[in-house]
Amino acid sequence: MTDILELKYSDILKLNQDLETTLQSPDVEIDVFSNIIIAQLKEILEYTLRNDGINAKITIRDYDNIVQESYKVKNSKIVIIFWELSNLIDGFHFKHCSMPDNKIETLIEKVIAEINVVLNQLRVVPLVIFNKFSSLVFSESNLRQNRYERVCDRLNEYLSGKIAKNIVFVDIDKIISKSGLAEAIDLRYFYSSKALYSIQFFKNYSTFIKPIILSLLGKAKKVLILDCDNTLWKGILGEDGLPGIEMSAKTNSGVFFEEVQSIVLELSKRGILIGLCSKNNPEDVNEVLHFHPDMMIRDSDLVIKRINWSDKSDNLKQIAEELNIGLDSIVFVDDSDFEVNLIKVKIPQISVFQVPKKLHEYPRLMRNISNLFFTITESKEDLKRTEMYVAENQRKEVKLKYDNLERYLESLHLQLQISMDDEPSIARLAQLSQKTNQCNLTTRRYSESDIELFVKSPDYKVFSFEVSDKFGSYGITGLSIIKMKPPTAEIDTFLMSCRILGRNIEKVFIDHIINELSKMGVKIVTAQYIKSIKNKQVENFYNELKFDMTLENNVSRRYSIDINKYKFNNIKYIEVLDGRKDNKNHVSSFQG
Amino acid sequence: MEEKIIKIMSAVFRVDESAINESSSSDTIESWDSLKHMNLIAALEEEFKIEFNEDDIMNMLNFKLIKLLVKEKIT
Repeated sequence: MTDILELKYSDILKLNQDLETTLQSPDVEIDVFSNIIIAQLKEILEYTLRNDGINAKITIRDYDNIVQESYKVKNSKIVIIFWELSNLIDGFHFKHCSMPDNKIETLIEKVIAEINVVLNQLRVVPLVIFNKFSSLVFSESNLRQNRYERVCDRLNEYLSGKIAKNIVFVDIDKIISKSGLAEAIDLRYFYSSKALYSIQFFKNYSTFIKPIILSLLGKAKKVLILDCDNTLWKGILGEDGLPGIEMSAKTNSGVFFEEVQSIVLELSKRGILIGLCSKNNPEDVNEVLHFHPDMMIRDSDLVIKRINWSDKSDNLKQIAEELNIGLDSIVFVDDSDFEVNLIKVKIPQISVFQVPKKLHEYPRLMRNISNLFFTITESKEDLKRTEMYVAENQRKEVKLKYDNLERYLESLHLQLQISMDDEPSIARLAQLSQKTNQCNLTTRRYSESDIELFVKSPDYKVFSFEVSDKFGSYGITGLSIIKMKPPTAEIDTFLMSCRILGRNIEKVFIDHIINELSKMGVKIVTAQYIKSIKNKQVENFYNELKFDMTLENNVSRRYSIDINKYKFNNIKYIEVLDGRKDNKNHVSSFQG
Repeated sequence: MEEKIIKIMSAVFRVDESAINESSSSDTIESWDSLKHMNLIAALEEEFKIEFNEDDIMNMLNFKLIKLLVKEKIT
């Protein structure tokens, strides 16, 4: 098995593609919800799991639509949630400074209410991996805890009361620490594309959460088989004799083995099966197990022993047979290059680890190994703690509860400020026209001077909007250009930035435009969908609005509707405000 | 170098290596959207141990320019 951390991203892409076609096992659907861009997670995590025979099919759901997406979940076996603190509202990592206290409180309340909705919707999903909130990226150099960190703590405290059988909370700071912060993030994309994490981070993340997924699918490691000499203790029993081997803090080298033994013992207490596979005389090892004063692991802690001089790969196969478990649920630890390589080659299903040459690394390796035995099922203490938290939370329970998506959207107090022929925004409108790909019906690219022309010309109407909710504005994120051909009006351009999708804003926008056009005397509205390589998600936009399709071919569709027959969507929870309106006086041109 | 770039583009965009040529660009490769573009940059940077700045990234929308910029960075 190749360690993903040693592979290049492009190799992962390639290998993942190969595995996708060759793996026969049934699909495991995994949905990822996120309010930041985490595009690279898909293939890296898919590969990490496919490498273990799990045919993961990962879908990264709509950006910044965690709540909306939670209502749509049906077949997913696993949901992973990236809920990024800095993007709770756009730029929260610095805007928190200037926000009044009550705004901060409202924001916390809103997020808590959203967490409730999401977890409630996801209660049928077998496994939810929920990354805890992290303030690290934007607070690592703070001498004093600031408000941003306090908000983070509050949200995490709330999460700790949400422990449930199907939820695993992941401490993302630990994953960042594996590579160090500088390696884990890439701020180049943060400001332009809301992407935060590096390839390195995603590799570490995938490795970190893999045992959780293995556990859900009943593929967690079950048995830990250890060599003896220089693995359980320092020294060679056959040469140094019982008094010569070391496994306690009394000696410089023994200290590492004491710690390792204690980690192994802890695993045994959790129900992991522990066994030995060593080239030694069985009676010598038994003597150590029974009589060595420093041994922590005793004979009674072991479920199986293969102490002999035969091939270790044969021994391990027999162990699997005798315990009636798959080879892939065995983890084997040995200090010898020879044995480690032998098993890697002869039984690749077994996870093999070698005792590090630098012994001070050994306890850390053993702690990492013990993660492979992760089980989702909680201990009694965990459960007790959960009960405590749940009770605590019920006292504090936020009143806001949304039983459906509409109620949630209502609570956002969305406002749409729609402007017409708004000269001061020309530069931004040109930018939208140049950059918007997905939610763009015609993908016509216009420059600033084009837009200026449209804004000033009586033959065009340029509608644009700015969205805001109770936490602030998203800026100008929608544009529609109408070509007036009385008594007809053609929708030349209709586009929206994808970060505001999922809120029915497009319906309010088109309602408004149709209404305005109607007031201007327009009788027929025509429209077009021009297929691009990126705008498939809006291909049925006009069909859904009940426009008549007048023409359809491979590259485009034409539509038309009698304005009196247009059915307004009347979305009640979005308030429309009048924005700037230029007074270019051309209404008269319609009256002839 | 050119071969490596083609390999990477093929892996990122999931197209055949033979389909990548001098005129390949985000307009001719269907799966080349803004997210895949980030993946491409990440793969190139890792492969050649280089780092592009924001302007480079914005401009690297066709095979020719990618070659040019990679070459510039590694020499």
